[in-house]
Amino acid sequence: MARRAGGGNDIQWCFSQVKGAVDDDVAEADIISTVEFNHSGELLATGDKGGRVVIFQQEQENKIQSHSRGEYNVYSTFQSHEPEFDYLKSLEIEEKINKIRWLPQKNAAQFLLSTNDKTIKLWKISERDKRPEGYNLKEEDGRYRDPTTVTTLRVPVFRPMDLMVEASPRRIFANAHTYHINSISINSDYETYLSADDLRINLWHLEITDRSFNIVDIKPANMEELTEVITAAEFHPNSCNTFVYSSSKGTIRLCDMRASALCDRHSKLFEEPEDPSNRSFFSEIISSISDVKFSHSGRYMMTRDYLSVKIWDLNMENRPVETYQVHEYLRSKLCSLYENDCIFDKFECCWNGSDSVVMTGSYNNFFRMFDRNTKRDITLEASRENNKPRTVLKPRKVCASGKRKKDEISVDSLDFNKKILHTAWHPKENIIAVATTNNLYIFQDKVN
Amino acid sequence: MEVQKEAQRIMTLSVWKMYHSRMQRGGLRLHRSLQLSLVMRSARELYLSAKVEAHESEVSLPPALPSDPRLHPPREAESTAETATPDGEHPSPEPMDTQEAPTAEETSACCAPRPAKVSRKRRSSSLSDGGDAGLVPSKKARLEEKEEEEGASSEAADRLQPPPAQAEGAFPNLARVLQRRFSGLLNCSPAAPPTAPPACEAKPACRPADSMLNVLVRAVVAF
Repeated sequence: MARRAGGGNDIQWCFSQVKGAVDDDVAEADIISTVEFNHSGELLATGDKGGRVVIFQQEQENKIQSHSRGEYNVYSTFQSHEPEFDYLKSLEIEEKINKIRWLPQKNAAQFLLSTNDKTIKLWKISERDKRPEGYNLKEEDGRYRDPTTVTTLRVPVFRPMDLMVEASPRRIFANAHTYHINSISINSDYETYLSADDLRINLWHLEITDRSFNIVDIKPANMEELTEVITAAEFHPNSCNTFVYSSSKGTIRLCDMRASALCDRHSKLFEEPEDPSNRSFFSEIISSISDVKFSHSGRYMMTRDYLSVKIWDLNMENRPVETYQVHEYLRSKLCSLYENDCIFDKFECCWNGSDSVVMTGSYNNFFRMFDRNTKRDITLEASRENNKPRTVLKPRKVCASGKRKKDEISVDSLDFNKKILHTAWHPKENIIAVATTNNLYIFQDKVN
Repeated sequence: MEVQKEAQRIMTLSVWKMYHSRMQRGGLRLHRSLQLSLVMRSARELYLSAKVEAHESEVSLPPALPSDPRLHPPREAESTAETATPDGEHPSPEPMDTQEAPTAEETSACCAPRPAKVSRKRRSSSLSDGGDAGLVPSKKARLEEKEEEEGASSEAADRLQPPPAQAEGAFPNLARVLQRRFSGLLNCSPAAPPTAPPACEAKPACRPADSMLNVLVRAVVAF
């Protein structure tokens, strides 16, 4: 019997939709670089390497046929960032969208922040479904009428038109980051947000673009003494004074902005001692945290490093409360993964709406879910082979060594070019968005 | 021996990756450079400790070995390490290697196998067979680095190939080293990452083994 809420394994995941080009020849600009649901889950935004943002909107549920939730269709597409050139440093600035974060909806329009390596932009996405008609001095096509031909006056009226969705940049927050921006996070006060690069974190007000406050600076006086960089940062979902940032050394620091203006001293330091039996040549680099996400409750946070997902209780700093191995079979292949650069891949992770299941991506277009209550995990594949709607996804298994069972895949036949770095979970429903290189898959739980 | 070769291969690979990352769009990625330098440092430590062990065990062997055969295995390993780097224009010779002066052979085509030569210049190192000497920094290397450090600016780690006068903020020594050593590669489109050549293959090398190791040493010591 399938349960609606909770366990990642008790529910059966079904294919719903796939977006993006079918052909294997992937244009670099189409590579998806970020995926994010808005607060209601009605909108799903993706950013790509070409600087574009595509927003999908969920159709209103068909009340009669409630065998599936609404489909996501394209709502708006716009070019968020363009390639730029920093003349001072002779440096090209990539237009790739690193992160998108939605603001909670306050009026009819939707707002989101999108960022590339250097510049953050606030976009307003609004609908227009009426237009004024009946101007006195203008024809319907916009040409001006000869005033001498006007004999009567009328009041223009609004008439319905085909829905048009417009995206306009409302704020541009630029020139505040020397290094590459890796994270943005909106504060629970909905007035400020932070942006983090490799060495600094800045605090912005959404209304003010010409000023930002530096709240964390880990740049050493002598750059040759640099030992760690900031890899991700996020505001606490409920406490507007609290944020965390993760480092390339596998540590997470929690900071309280009330303590001082410059939060160089952490309030809490979360670090797990290294397991000496796992020590290897590449230990240091695989301990680097690629993503940090607070649970919706704010009690826990999740970190992703190269091989595992860890759940930390904010009240306990010396070790995580839960650790899940994503693809431990890769531990013996680290040298090859270093050669083909896969060891540098930055995987993200996400929580489900009730914080009971966590999800992250892997290689071969596999993604993994871990149920925190039942302690069970599942591996699923995002593939066009299973693309009949409501096809239940079959669990996959990787054979680490020894005899390969039927339906198992051996580690050596994994395709390391097919990686799932970005995943998102609907805030309320069991709907997930999984990004392969250039396709976006949407899966839902099976509704009986 | 295997450990040494592996460590050497990884060092070469890391240097290549670091160079390649500077040519990527968006400029030098600080995090990536840091990770590469960590791997390079680990590889260097591993190489040196393995070398020390090997040296200690060799010392217990009969001592009268001619220098050439002793040189030959390390040279082979080094030349295989070098084949990992992309073929390109021959860079200007290592200033310290007064012996190796292959300026005449600056062609893009890979040159004929170099005979294993002992460098006439004496290295001030205890592990002074010619193959190794490049790995342990000599005094001159240190002086050169010191100059580079003093000349380094402290800002803006992410710069593409700057004009030779400027040093890159975060990794000034590496910048200089890579600029000098790989200047010929600037015009080459980046090849696929080098794969590990089998240890027994002795492919022709495009530059003297010593200077390649010097490059590695400098790059590693810089971090």
